[in-house]
Amino acid sequence: MIKLNNLVATYTTERGQVNAVDGINIALPSGKIIGIAGESGCGKSTLLKVIYGDLIYPLALTSGNVEYGFTGDRGTEVTTRDIKEYWFRRISYIPQASMSSLNPVIRIRRQFVDFQGNVVDEAKILAEVREYVRSLDLPAEAIDAYPHQLSGGMRQRIMVAMGTFFKPDIILADEPTTALDVVVQKSILMLLMDIQEQMENTILFVSHDMGVHYQLTHKMLIMYAAKVVEFGDSEDVFSTSLHPYTKMLTDSLPTIGDDHIREGVSGRPPSLWDELVGCRFAARCPLATEICRQQEPALLEHKPGHFSACHHADQV
Amino acid sequence: MGLIQYIVSRVGAYLIVLFVGVTITFFLPRLMPSDPIEGYIAQMQNQAGQSMNPETIEELRTSMRKLYGLEGSIVDQYVDYIKRVFISFDFGPSLASYPKPVSEFIFTALPWTLGLLGTALVVSWLIGNIIGLVAGFYHNSRWATLLEIFGVILYPIPYYILALVLILLFAYIWPIFPLSTTILPGPITWEKINSIIYNSFLPALTLVLAGFGWNILGMKALSFANKEEGYVTFARLKGTPSRTIMFSYVFRNSILPQITALALSIGGVFNGALLTEILFSYPGLGLLMRTAIGSGDFNLLYGTIIMSIVSVATAALIIDLVYPLLDPRIRFR
Repeated sequence: MIKLNNLVATYTTERGQVNAVDGINIALPSGKIIGIAGESGCGKSTLLKVIYGDLIYPLALTSGNVEYGFTGDRGTEVTTRDIKEYWFRRISYIPQASMSSLNPVIRIRRQFVDFQGNVVDEAKILAEVREYVRSLDLPAEAIDAYPHQLSGGMRQRIMVAMGTFFKPDIILADEPTTALDVVVQKSILMLLMDIQEQMENTILFVSHDMGVHYQLTHKMLIMYAAKVVEFGDSEDVFSTSLHPYTKMLTDSLPTIGDDHIREGVSGRPPSLWDELVGCRFAARCPLATEICRQQEPALLEHKPGHFSACHHADQV
Repeated sequence: MGLIQYIVSRVGAYLIVLFVGVTITFFLPRLMPSDPIEGYIAQMQNQAGQSMNPETIEELRTSMRKLYGLEGSIVDQYVDYIKRVFISFDFGPSLASYPKPVSEFIFTALPWTLGLLGTALVVSWLIGNIIGLVAGFYHNSRWATLLEIFGVILYPIPYYILALVLILLFAYIWPIFPLSTTILPGPITWEKINSIIYNSFLPALTLVLAGFGWNILGMKALSFANKEEGYVTFARLKGTPSRTIMFSYVFRNSILPQITALALSIGGVFNGALLTEILFSYPGLGLLMRTAIGSGDFNLLYGTIIMSIVSVATAALIIDLVYPLLDPRIRFR
């Protein structure tokens, strides 16, 4: 169980402070693939940063903390305070494929060992790395190459290999397949699913692509304007959604054989700079009533394990 | 395969630069309206009170043309000149100290220039880049700003101003270094090496300081930008130690454009070195060139100019050939 306890994360800018994550309070089950979806700027990536513990200026955690659900080297439960010590051993991160996350001028095998502290026996670790890389359908020699000698898909496989080599409890993946073509994208997603099945770690998977979420995830977390609006089993969220925003997101997905013109979600999310009263989605919501504009809905468990922050969850 | 292509293209460009440079030094003086031989004859006639008979003048003209390599058509002269320069490295005799060959002067002066310039260049490039790296990597700290200000102040000062200031400060007001270079003749001993270092210190300091600022500013900007690259962020998130990130990630990537910049700046630094040598009476190519201009010694002047072209082009070639060692994207294209 990863507990997000009342998280508020703030960016300090020249205009002032803005809360990109504004009061998230939820417990995520361990050993599942959890998809995080929402529009650009809704706080998905910020939430990942907060969970990873990468809190550097201008981002700061104004309140709350994360309890990771595993005990650390000192026998106490790991929280936001000491998560940095477990980076890549217990919690790892797979970046976007479009970002060139490999140093172009040093060999990949160097980049595999330069974060492992005082490597006593480099040859032994490299042999293990080679073995592991081969198990991920990559030639073992790939780690002797420089990044520019590999294809985009191979590079992303290397990133997956780095992120999973230590069998971490939690893996954060921030749009890991965005810049890849669909065939390669599928193979990377299958790889992630296989790894998760074997190691039973928790994967937090951020993507814009609702289709990918549908295929990959066990649980879905929908964010809107720095808040969680819905959380539950993926199947329930996609088929019997309890929030009008999720409904609009999934309705915009095309299905084969259906040639109706798809409607996107009209309107724009509110600016986080404004003072927000009531439900943040109210202005775009077809179900909005007076109560929505005045009172902020709480994230409630409407059905077992299915949470929604909507006054009219029963009407969706 | 890519590497061989790279080397061949660099060496080819090098040979073309040399050839064009040598050709320009051949044609440029020949475009001048004055003829050095006619000028010399007119001068002699004046001294002799117009008493020379035409046959003597004609004889004088022929023997001087032969001596100066000015016989035959301009094409013949050019072919002859190219052959002499490229094959036997012969620039003819010095006109002021006839018949000592120009090449002898050049080979005495060259080691001094190369020693001074090479040392100064390496020192200023290395230290400048390290300072720039630290300033860029820790750009939030006050020290970084201070280092950058140091670079901003140094970089616009021309060589000759800096040289004059250093002479004034350290050779006149506080005379700890000699005003001009005096080096004992004789075999190489420890004493002589010490004296060379002592005498070369101020000119080298001038070149180091003047080259410094630009290296600091360039490297600061590069490493600052490099810090934002995806691989640096990812290395930080992997938990790679900060020092490894600074050297293996930021430095290794930022140094590549700085190597190119070094190759491009070598010509300018060479100019500065020539001026610096003149100001410190340092016995290198610069001083030799000035002497040649002062005494109207054309052969010596062309010799030093060609030598300058060769030195700058060779240095740039060496840097170009070192580049693939640091950039695998060229080595394994």
